[in-house]
Amino acid sequence: MLTRMLAVACLIIGPPALAQSYTPKVGVVSSFTGSEQAFGTQHERGYTLALEEINAAGGVLGKPLEIIKYDDQSKADVAVQGVSKLVDQDKVPVVIGAYASQSTLALVPAVIKRQVPLLIPTATADNVLASKSPWVFRVCAGADDIAHATAEFLKTTGLPKSIAIVYENTNFGQANGGSMRTWARTYGIPVVADEAYNAGSPSYTAMLQKVKEKAPEAIYFASYLLDAVQLMKQTRQVNLNARVYTSAGTGFALPSFLTGAGKDAEYTISGQQWMRESKWPGSEKFAATVKARWGEYPSYHAVQAYVSLKIIADAVKRAGKWEPVAIRDAIAKTEMQTIFGPIKFVNQQNQHPVLITQVQQGAFQVVGPADQATAQVILPTPNWSTRP
Amino acid sequence: MAALQAILNGLLVGGIYALIAMGMALVFGVMRLVNFAHGAFLMVGMYLAYFGYTLFKLNPYWGFGLVGAALFLLGMGVYWLLVRRVMGQSDFLQILLTEGIALCLIGGAQLLFTGDYRSISLPLADKTANLGPLNFNVAYVVSFVIALLAVTSMYLFMKYTEMGRAIRGVAQNRLVAPLMGIRVQWISGVSFAFGVACAGAAGALLLPIFYVNPTIGGPYNLKSFVIVVLGGMGSVEGAALGGLILGVTEGLTAYYWSDSYTQVVDFVLFLAVLLLRPQGLLGKKAP
Repeated sequence: MLTRMLAVACLIIGPPALAQSYTPKVGVVSSFTGSEQAFGTQHERGYTLALEEINAAGGVLGKPLEIIKYDDQSKADVAVQGVSKLVDQDKVPVVIGAYASQSTLALVPAVIKRQVPLLIPTATADNVLASKSPWVFRVCAGADDIAHATAEFLKTTGLPKSIAIVYENTNFGQANGGSMRTWARTYGIPVVADEAYNAGSPSYTAMLQKVKEKAPEAIYFASYLLDAVQLMKQTRQVNLNARVYTSAGTGFALPSFLTGAGKDAEYTISGQQWMRESKWPGSEKFAATVKARWGEYPSYHAVQAYVSLKIIADAVKRAGKWEPVAIRDAIAKTEMQTIFGPIKFVNQQNQHPVLITQVQQGAFQVVGPADQATAQVILPTPNWSTRP
Repeated sequence: MAALQAILNGLLVGGIYALIAMGMALVFGVMRLVNFAHGAFLMVGMYLAYFGYTLFKLNPYWGFGLVGAALFLLGMGVYWLLVRRVMGQSDFLQILLTEGIALCLIGGAQLLFTGDYRSISLPLADKTANLGPLNFNVAYVVSFVIALLAVTSMYLFMKYTEMGRAIRGVAQNRLVAPLMGIRVQWISGVSFAFGVACAGAAGALLLPIFYVNPTIGGPYNLKSFVIVVLGGMGSVEGAALGGLILGVTEGLTAYYWSDSYTQVVDFVLFLAVLLLRPQGLLGKKAP
């Protein structure tokens, strides 16, 4: 209560004297190493390109923009230390991050305590916004939106008679699994299996065997990359045949998933936040730039990082100074057209539509919603025994 | 039938647990030392197998012996340099030392290889074999068979060779063994190195079905400890049996309850054994 009163007092009389000297830099927290490194790499590419473009266009407030990166090693406790390093030591007035929902959730109280704005590029778990704090903004669509879009898409293909939800036992997994549970109920799809797993187990066959016995028509996965690959391989191994494999994007939405799981990735459907075929102007050019420079097309995570830095640069320009309250208020008033669609924050959340993709011939194709589709969805998924 | 499948899958994983835990049991049995660096040595074995495959095209299923041998030498070195000095000292010193070795190995791996996860993809790992309604991943089966062969040869070695007898002699009584002409220091060193080699070879067998990063060994350290207690502190056969039991328990837990509760069941089992049968399944009651 006391801290809240202090916070209110600070808002009224302005920031405390101690915190007035901020460096004109943006703090960035992401998983540049560790289990989520594949996503951190996507972030890194996005930030790099955004930074170069901003500085080629004259920088921010007359100076080249600078960012300070902090590697959270894919661990929530390390991510929190990142805030104290970036804000307390380096004195940045604004932070973007982290990658994983678990780490991002840990950042939230840390930035609120220090009264600096946090822009969340990628974390889908909806509890990262549960604080309803004016300091926290999110660019990506949340778990609830993704599950809703997936259920809506399933409806267009004929609602499955049953669904199994398989998710990792972390903030991200629980949020996405829970959202699907809610939306399945709304759409009247019985949930016949509800399985949480420990990420990084050497074998998921027993769990998948159990799912197989319930013979679900659809499966909804919420997994990071390494488990997404293991899960699809072992789904084939136990000969678990569903009519449709859906997922909350993430592990199932990365280019590395296609190479890691190979032909076992085929036909899997995932909620995506962006595709290079998106109708948002500049998407194709961004994708081509990334491909030319790093040899592979970007996943939506790179775009979220890219757009996040653009939003901050825009906000600082409008704020006219490197000062947390001014930047926060400027972010809240953001209205810009980006390759990630139009950006506008309502109750701290950017209003972003979800795309549904399917892996066809080793590539992601947009299959929904209808106005964005680049290919027809292929359903039902053929049984494993009939696949080459 | 599905339950049978869950048991078989558990057995396949359990075979590898058995090999890992056997190394820990050997070290504990002979030296009364809980090697907290055991998981870290497993990780070193996995990296060796990984680079053996990526740099020299050495299939881990042939290379596991080489990895085991390399880890044997590493274990010897660590013993003569460090572990030897805490023998007969307090448990606390031994724990600090082995934990310190683990931190050095993990930190060193992070420095050299970063925290990235690496995996190899053997064509074998994509093959599935069917036996009636049951199905197996071929790579798991091969890893299991090799692990079981290693466990068996280890057992025979302990039972029928001069060196094995000496090792058992030291395990039975450290004070009387030298009176029988056994060089306790030497035997302890060999046992420690054997234990480390088991972890390394198991790492090589685990690599084709899993992935490696510097902290991968942590959970296996804990699992081995549970298995060693389950089988009977210091009993090598007990550890082999315990490994299989733990694998099956995990498979059944994931099947009948939830994959996310496997660790809970692991440790409930651990506590139950300590409460109800502290000497373990095949261990002998302390005199």
